[in-house]
Amino acid sequence: METFLNGISEKTAVLLKSKSRKAGKWLYSLFRLAFLISVGFVVIYPLFYMIVTSLESNTAFLNSTRVWIPNELDIVNNYKMAMECLSFGKAIISTLKNQIVAALLQVVSCSVVAYGFARFEFKGKKIKTALLFLTIILPDMMLLIPRMVNYSKLDFLGILGLFNNLTGIDLRIDIINSVWTFWIPALFGVGLKSGILIYIYIQFFKGLPRELEEAAWVDGSGPIRTFISIALPSSGVVIITVVLFSLIWHWNDFTLSSMYLSDNFPLAVMLNNFEFAMNNHSYYFVPRQPESMAFVMAACVLFVTPMLIVYMILQRWFIESIDRIGITG
Amino acid sequence: MKKVKKNRGIDAIKDKYGRLFTTPWLIGLILFFIIPMFQSIYFSFSEIMVIPGGIESVFVGLKNYKQLLFADPDYTQLLSSAMASFLYSLPVILLLSLVLAIFLNQKFRGRLFFRALYFLPVIIASGSVITWLFKTTSNDLNNLGVSESYTAAMFSVDDIIGWLQIDGQIAEYITQTISKIFDLIWSCGIQTVLFLAGLQSIPRTLYEASHVEGATKWEEFWFITFPMLSRVILLVMVFTMVELMTNIRTAVVRKAYTMMDNGVFDTTSAMLWFYFLIVGCVMAVLIFVYKQTLMRRWDV
Repeated sequence: METFLNGISEKTAVLLKSKSRKAGKWLYSLFRLAFLISVGFVVIYPLFYMIVTSLESNTAFLNSTRVWIPNELDIVNNYKMAMECLSFGKAIISTLKNQIVAALLQVVSCSVVAYGFARFEFKGKKIKTALLFLTIILPDMMLLIPRMVNYSKLDFLGILGLFNNLTGIDLRIDIINSVWTFWIPALFGVGLKSGILIYIYIQFFKGLPRELEEAAWVDGSGPIRTFISIALPSSGVVIITVVLFSLIWHWNDFTLSSMYLSDNFPLAVMLNNFEFAMNNHSYYFVPRQPESMAFVMAACVLFVTPMLIVYMILQRWFIESIDRIGITG
Repeated sequence: MKKVKKNRGIDAIKDKYGRLFTTPWLIGLILFFIIPMFQSIYFSFSEIMVIPGGIESVFVGLKNYKQLLFADPDYTQLLSSAMASFLYSLPVILLLSLVLAIFLNQKFRGRLFFRALYFLPVIIASGSVITWLFKTTSNDLNNLGVSESYTAAMFSVDDIIGWLQIDGQIAEYITQTISKIFDLIWSCGIQTVLFLAGLQSIPRTLYEASHVEGATKWEEFWFITFPMLSRVILLVMVFTMVELMTNIRTAVVRKAYTMMDNGVFDTTSAMLWFYFLIVGCVMAVLIFVYKQTLMRRWDV
């Protein structure tokens, strides 16, 4: 709106000189604003819809004049029901334990790998880079089945299996349905969408001035110390971005966790199975039907809110950081 | 003499620590990525029985693939519909996120607000929430890939088409695209962010020079912004293709997950690998054409 007003005042002020050019500029900024607002509307609409619907009582749905301002509130009942169906407390603990810890582990491990790629020339770098791209291109979906099979009997390269055959002692651990299914891959930097995170890190580290770090090596502090005390402290912006991406992807992921876990599901899986939970509380989901919609939308709001809060906190740095990461491909 | 020795020292350090930093990752990659990848390929060529405490597999060759392609009534149809939506979503998403990034990169009031706003879909879109949003507004429970009804709740497409007096095939295409617009705009979050980061890394001096030379905005875009972004575009293209491919609202993917849940491992593997093969071929062709035409022209 302000650009719009500026445009007007500018137009009257410079009517005398280069009229057409100014008018063109004004039209352009008007178009830009209109475009951004209309796309923004599509972005914000579902969020409003979700929140408003989750607040309303059953009877409010029968009122056709309802649009944006909820007229009959029934917040307590809707949210209580939603929390019960999600088993919110248990689910959020499971999410924190499985997903969030893995997300943060991944932020650390990916930075180490990326630093190796960005700073050093070593044997086999080309093939490792090719493998990195393979991890970006080949989705986790393709590897789910063998991973499930492997995790139920964790065996490195068949050594323990051979040991089992020879001695009859089974040392293979069953890590399925435990936090390790998420933690171990994250620890190695091969967790959920780690490829793209490593890539973002690499791009940033390449842009950091090399001289300072090389001087530090020559002066006797090893590369590991240089990485921890020089490179990491100056990469706050990229860390914010990676933390945000990693958290969001882990929080929203329900395909991996619904396959790996068999009880104590995290929030995303609970939301995905919300229909069954509702049936258990003898409510039935019917599209466009008042009662069920309010519960579902309340559950969605509950699911989204923590990440929205994280985003609001990190948002200031994140938006700045976009300017400074500088991806060049 | 001393200098040479020092340089060699740095190279040795680089080699040693380069491997030190990346080897743990490589081990993890082999264990959790490479081995499962080959297992998965093997599964697709074999028959698998789930027994207590593991699985038993028998190699059967191309049987699974044959069954999928010739005996299964809907697999090929699911594939072709997935490919169709894939092929028209990709250009729209790329274009839209590029335009958004260019706008958000310009200086105007409220740009920080819009930047914050356009990241919202990333938080919400990649999860069950979006499926529920479609479910609550759709009459057809089995057809969740459709976001038409959602757009219809926002504005009426037919009215606009009628008002503009467009007809025939074009109107059909426009109706389809607009009714998917919700889906498409919501898939632009990360892409916009990546493009923004790419735009930031273009040196200002190029624009200043072209300004002095009297280039128009269009020339600026076509001769500076676009060529300088060409590699980022490639990255975003690959990323978007993978996102589109794994999208849970794609019928093939949904079917695969259901089968996985039911413990059908062999056919599912074959199904996914054939799907990936086709998407991979399309990807390769697109990347090849892009490199040959646009990137070669700019010689980057």
